[in-house]
Order: sequence, then structure tokens, then C-alpha cells
Amino acid sequence: MPRDASQSVGEASARLQSLLSEIYVKSKSEACGLSRAQFDGILAEIARKYLPADTTQSEICDFYSTLRVEELALARACAMGNEHAWEVFLTRYREKLYEIAGYITKESSTARELADSIYADLYGTRTRDGQRASKLASYTGRGSLEGWLRTVMAQEHVNRYRRQRRLVSLDEEAEEGTQFATAEPEATIVADLRVEAAVDEVLAALSPEDRFVLASYFLDERTLADIARTLGVHESTISRKLDKLAKSLRKQILASLGRRGMSRRQAQEALEVDVRDLRVNIRSRLAQDTGAGAFSKKKAETPAGDGS
Amino acid sequence: MTEIPKIVRQRLQTNTKLADHPETNLLSAFVEQSLAEREQGQILQHLSQCVNCREIVALSTAQPNIADGVSFAPARAGWLSWPTLRWVATVACIVVIGAVVTIHQKQESRQQTAMQASTSTHAIVDNAAPSQSPNLNPAPVEAAEQRTSRKASGNHRAADAAPFEIADARTASPFAEVVPGRAKAAVAGPQGAEQAVDGPTANSDEAAVSGTFFPDDLATANLAPRWSLSWDGVLQRSLDSGRTWQTVPVATHLILRALAANGLDIWVGGKAGALFHSSDAGQHWIQVVPTANGQPFVGDIVGVEFSDGLQGKLTSSNREIWITSDAGQTWQKQ
Repeated sequence: MPRDASQSVGEASARLQSLLSEIYVKSKSEACGLSRAQFDGILAEIARKYLPADTTQSEICDFYSTLRVEELALARACAMGNEHAWEVFLTRYREKLYEIAGYITKESSTARELADSIYADLYGTRTRDGQRASKLASYTGRGSLEGWLRTVMAQEHVNRYRRQRRLVSLDEEAEEGTQFATAEPEATIVADLRVEAAVDEVLAALSPEDRFVLASYFLDERTLADIARTLGVHESTISRKLDKLAKSLRKQILASLGRRGMSRRQAQEALEVDVRDLRVNIRSRLAQDTGAGAFSKKKAETPAGDGS
Repeated sequence: MTEIPKIVRQRLQTNTKLADHPETNLLSAFVEQSLAEREQGQILQHLSQCVNCREIVALSTAQPNIADGVSFAPARAGWLSWPTLRWVATVACIVVIGAVVTIHQKQESRQQTAMQASTSTHAIVDNAAPSQSPNLNPAPVEAAEQRTSRKASGNHRAADAAPFEIADARTASPFAEVVPGRAKAAVAGPQGAEQAVDGPTANSDEAAVSGTFFPDDLATANLAPRWSLSWDGVLQRSLDSGRTWQTVPVATHLILRALAANGLDIWVGGKAGALFHSSDAGQHWIQVVPTANGQPFVGDIVGVEFSDGLQGKLTSSNREIWITSDAGQTWQKQ
């Protein structure tokens, strides 16, 4: 190895060691009962999980610097059963768990049930190889612990909802007032396959962000404010973007149809025919595997206390 | 809003059978925008096609606002029905008008008293003058604290109706200002009061994560400090008219719910009768245990009022009222 290269590797290694020492102090791991070796092991495990094998030590340093190390140490110490860590965790997050659950479920008994269930998962009621398996052991410090808890709860709530919907019988649905109309014919009325191909082509060319905004607004029926908050922009930005996207989509689809041999008038008619005739049950299509309706809307429709 | 053709909607919702969903850590980091650009893009790519993950992200993104969520307190049936609210609104208007008149009268009488006592006041100011320094910059406020402030501002609706906020506003003095409407946590915390600690050396969890407190700033600042309780029950102070807020440590694990500021005298109260007093604008704190007829005050303090340095009143969550006329040395239960 050339002398310069080995020197720079040595420097990077020294920087990594220095950073690890710094992070260990910053994480207050010692107070949570985590030794330096244990904490270094946790960091290495997280780096292996997210970084490719050929990552340089300098890149590893940069990655470590982005982690929420104090919250990481707290979570992992809790997962390992450290009592002091649990005290700190409960002081900081116990009430938040209930607040978040209340916000997510909008119904007190369901919220309490959800929070209690998550709390049990965090504590680790199930055992694996004779040891408690705490969900906190999967926290990796990429975001805040509170944000992670919120996402865990949201995920659990969505899962519960979907499980619940699977278990609801037709009789129960009927009792809830659900009308079982004759099944509508699927959206098979497509005047010209060229229309589908043109739309697919235009949608495929969209950026992920544009597609996310479109799907959130037109399929999930999120508000402009919700979408803006998710993307960290002002809601007027989303409003402008949606307007621009809708106009641009129409224009590009028409152009694409033109390239497929349609005249301008034919293309416009094809698009209009679709608008008038195509019966699309978006909600039933949104549900990925249950055949149930989209989550948020159904949730709003479902009477309180049904476990949704 | 411009609509899109239905065929576009139909094609948008196809291809949503995605097998590999991003793990929770990445989704939560995405929501907080703390991922690297490449990862942020990957998650966005997935979200643009996965309704399930979009649902989770949408639920995770929203900030829990206590006012929007549910209350875990026992429900009081009929309280929020319109006929009751109508009378509550009327009574509230009368109370507010009465409070304004009272405050006005008290301020006038205080001004008269201040004129008479101007000599002694000047002596105090002169004593403080040598310690003044040109550095009036407030302590750096970290992002976490700013987030806390935003959350607090989001809880205004919940806090505006709190009776102790009105009481605190009434105790405002030319030297210190309590910010009405800056909220305390509406849900009480599980922790009881702790031992009294010296302010600057106190190591509360909130202080550790929220920012740094420089006690010297207060003695040297000419700006009237504002005092407030954050939504999660932490005492905060602003030296720049509310633009930035610093955490002022009082006691570890203490969730505060009531505040009274009267010049350099600051009183704060919380769960299980936890009452703390600082006579030097938050630099040092002493725990005060109100006792009347041998019985300590054990209720949750929801209101603290001190009209001057001596006369004070505590209100508990179970509507007990305790008063003192000697700055907390002795107490009487009403």
C-alpha cells in the first residue's frame, strides 16, 4: 500500500475512534448501563444495516454523526432491561404514547388499547431464546425516538384496522348500516387501449414526488396541508404543484395520444369518454390485500368502538 | 383545484402490490426529513406507489395536538353541549371584563405605591447595575426547543381557557411578563415533586435536551423577561419578547402546570403539591411545602397567583384554594 494511502487510512481510523469516544459520552450510555464495547457494537450493527460493505471509514463517521445517539442508547438500554433507562423512558414518553394514540385513533378506549399494546411490545412480553424481545431493540436512531414511536403506533393501528376489517362479518357490516349493492362492473370500459398506454407513459415519466403528491391528493384524499407537512413545504406550493401537474398531465397525454396516431380531436374525445364512462371504484382498488376500503375514509365512517 | 381524468386516477392506483416496505426507522426518519437525499428519494419513490405506507406516513406526520386528540380524563356528560356552552361563554365574558377592570385598578394603585417607594427601588437597581454586561444575547436555542415552542403554540386553544393563565396575567409586573396562552400540558404528568435544587446546577431531562440556561443573562438583561410553561410542563423564559425561549430548570422530572411571575419572584406549581419559589428570577429554587393545620397541600396545583411579594393563592385541581399572606411562610386553606 502506498505510504500516503496508508496514512490516510490511519487518519480515518483515528478519526473514527475519536468520534466513537465522543459519541459514547454524548449518548450518556454509561448512565444507562451500556459499556463502550456494547455501544460500539450497536453502532456497527446499524452501520452494517444501512451502509454498503465498501463504505469508507470517513463515510461511516459521517453516518454516525447523523444518528440520534442519546435516544439510541436509551432505547437499547431499555431493550436490555436497564431499570434506570426505563424510568427515563417512561418519564419522557409514557404520556406521549397515550397522546399519540389518542390522536391517531380519535377514540379513547381504542387509543388506550393501542397505547397499552405498544407499551407491551416495547417492554417485550414475548421471549426469544429465553430473553425478552423488546421492540425498542429495533430502533436505530435514524430519526427521533418520539417520531419512531409515532410511526410504530401508526403502523400498528393500520395493521389492526386491516386485521379487524378481515374479521368483520357481512352481518356486522349490515348492522353498521353498510349497504351491499350489486357489484359494479369493473372498470373495463376503456375505449382505446392506446389511452391506457399513453397515460401509463406519462405517469411513468413523473418524478416520485409528483406522483406522491398526485396519489396523496386524488387517491388518498389528503388535504393540501397534510401533504405539505409530509414534504416539509408550504401548502400553497402543493396547491400550485397540483394545478400545474393536472394541466401538464392532460397536455402530455394528449400529445402522447397524438404520437399514437390519434388526431387532436380524437384524443380529446377519448379522454373525455373515459371521464364520462369509466366507472372506477378507487377505494376498492386502493386496498392492497383485503378488498376493504381505503383506510382513512373507512376509519372515519366506522362507528367508534369497533376497534378500528 | 384542477381535476385529473379518471383514467389517470385509475392508472395511478395500479401497481400498488409492493412487497418490500421500508422499515419503521426509515419511515419515521423520512417524516422528520433526516434521511440522506438518496434515501429520502427512495422512500418517496416507494410512497408514490404504496397506499399502505402513505397511510402510515400521514398518521405519523401529524403532530399530536391534545386539543385534537382524545381526553383520558373521565368524561363529563353534557358539558360541551351548546346550551351549557352558551352560558359558559356569557360567564367567561363577565369574568374577563371583571378581570380587566381589576387589573387596571391594581395597576393604578401599584403605580401610586411605586411613586412613593421610588427611593428604595432605585437603591435595588443601583445594586444590580455593576453586574450588568454588554452581552445580552439569549442562550442558543436548539432545534428541539424550537419544535417544543411550535408544539406549544399549537396548543393555544387548549390553554386559552385555563383559569390559572388569567390569574398569571394579572400578576404581570413591569419586570416580568407571563405570556397568556402559551400552554402547559393538558394531561397531567406521572411524576411527583422532587427535592429542591439549585437552578444553575439542576440537571433536568428537559434541560439536557432542550437548550442551555445561562443564569447570568437574567441579572444582566435589561429586557423584561417573559415567562411561560411549555406544553410539556417545562418552565421557559424569553429575553427577546418571545422570539426565542430558553428552558429554565426547576427540578428533575417535574411537570409544571401553573406559573406566577412578579418581578424577580417566580412561583411555579405542578403535580402532587409541588410548589417551587425563586426569589432571584429563576437562578435558585426552593421547594415550598404549603401546610395548614399540620396537613400538607397534596393536590395537583393548577393555579398560582401572587398579587405582590407576600399575598398569594394556590388552586388545586380538586378546587381547593390555599392562601398565604407572608410569601409562603404560612398557609390557610379556604
